Amino acid sequence: MNKHSADATTAEEAIAIQSALDSNMATEVAMQDTLLTPRFYTTDFDELDAIDVSQISEEWEPLIERMLSDPNKGHFKKNDDWDKVDWDGMDPELKKEFIDFLISSCTAEFSGCVLYKEMKRRGSNEHITQLFQLMARDEARHAGFINDALREAGVAVNLGFLTQKKKYTYFRPKFIYYATYLSEKIGYARYITIYRHLEKNPQHRFHPIFKWFQEWCNDEFAHGEAFALLMKTDPKLTSGINVFWIKFFLTAVYATMYIRDHQRPAFHKALGVDPDWYAEEVFTKTSELSKQIFPITLDIENPKWFEKLRRLQKVNADLAEAKRNKNKLKQLWCSTRAALIFLSLLAVPAKSNKVPDVTRMEPAY
Amino acid sequence: MGIFTRTKEHAPCTVEISHKFESLHAHVRINNGAIIYPGDEVQVQGPEIMAPFGEVVTEDREAIILRASLLERLWTKTFGDFEVMELCEFSFSEEATL
Repeated sequence: MNKHSADATTAEEAIAIQSALDSNMATEVAMQDTLLTPRFYTTDFDELDAIDVSQISEEWEPLIERMLSDPNKGHFKKNDDWDKVDWDGMDPELKKEFIDFLISSCTAEFSGCVLYKEMKRRGSNEHITQLFQLMARDEARHAGFINDALREAGVAVNLGFLTQKKKYTYFRPKFIYYATYLSEKIGYARYITIYRHLEKNPQHRFHPIFKWFQEWCNDEFAHGEAFALLMKTDPKLTSGINVFWIKFFLTAVYATMYIRDHQRPAFHKALGVDPDWYAEEVFTKTSELSKQIFPITLDIENPKWFEKLRRLQKVNADLAEAKRNKNKLKQLWCSTRAALIFLSLLAVPAKSNKVPDVTRMEPAY
Repeated sequence: MGIFTRTKEHAPCTVEISHKFESLHAHVRINNGAIIYPGDEVQVQGPEIMAPFGEVVTEDREAIILRASLLERLWTKTFGDFEVMELCEFSFSEEATL
């Protein structure tokens, strides 16, 4: 039996163990190969270059200083807290869902890294390129950490995608701000909620990676702060027609999370978390945080809103089943219904919010 | 650039793949200053580049840039935005099949 990299006390040792495993892999361990397929983006780089952070320097500089000091530098290393994981004894359904969770998390960190690096490379505004370089560093570090957890589970991440044809898609800078701001803040809310829950219920901590979530999510929090400040440099981004876009992104992000989490029942059961409770907790925290910059929050306390969200989730489950059964007609029917329910979710009036003068916050949950 | 036609360009590039515990990343840098526009496709030539775990591999290669037609560029600029949701960790992407 090979020594597991989980038994290693340092990253170096873990690498050495894993490399030895790699060389024997062909004969001894059948690693499942999963090809990472991040997207490649272009955006309006001139618009990014034109951002003037001097008007927000009082808030910007301390944030960049902190990121430069790299408080999490030593955090993503395995230590004694990294318990041995009994992958073989894990319920197959839980294992499948948990690995799916790790792969999608790794892909997201990786995609973030690709996007930030591209912005760093193509931009010429020093403040902006510095920020994106720092964020790319964090995302690559997170991806590396998740990758290691995947390797223990016998899943090899394949980075060979560069030699495949990659199409560059285009996002307007403002859509990148809304989507990544929310994705970082909701990421923080998701991780901290699980972390606090497992602090109280350690018997549900079925994998050591959850112990790393607290400092991890502080990186997400800091990235979100940076995007909030970027949006602050141009008041147009959070007023007028853009309020509609903010509502659209809030709705889309919340709905996507809700649907995706319901696709992982065994994962949530093992954590001892009811996905509905979890969604409410995360939405409440994210809404509270996003008041720092968004002039509206979704009315998540409105019973109609949650009811529509539940219906959307059910239609999506039907859609997934129709896809499995290759029932084209039913797929069309479910897609149409999903689109209509999504529109009705958008139509629920939002709550307005007076954005404070000072944007910066500290993680407090 | 034609309205309907695509053109092909060759460009030298540097690929860096890091498969380390501290950092998992993969980047392509085009070395002749060619700019990638919306809808363009880029393919690094040659065999798949694999970095063993714990290593960073840097290689100079040639990339083929397949320039999008004017129509494709406009299409991507207009509708590419809707794919932005993939940046979220819990994206609508299909479940990983293992």
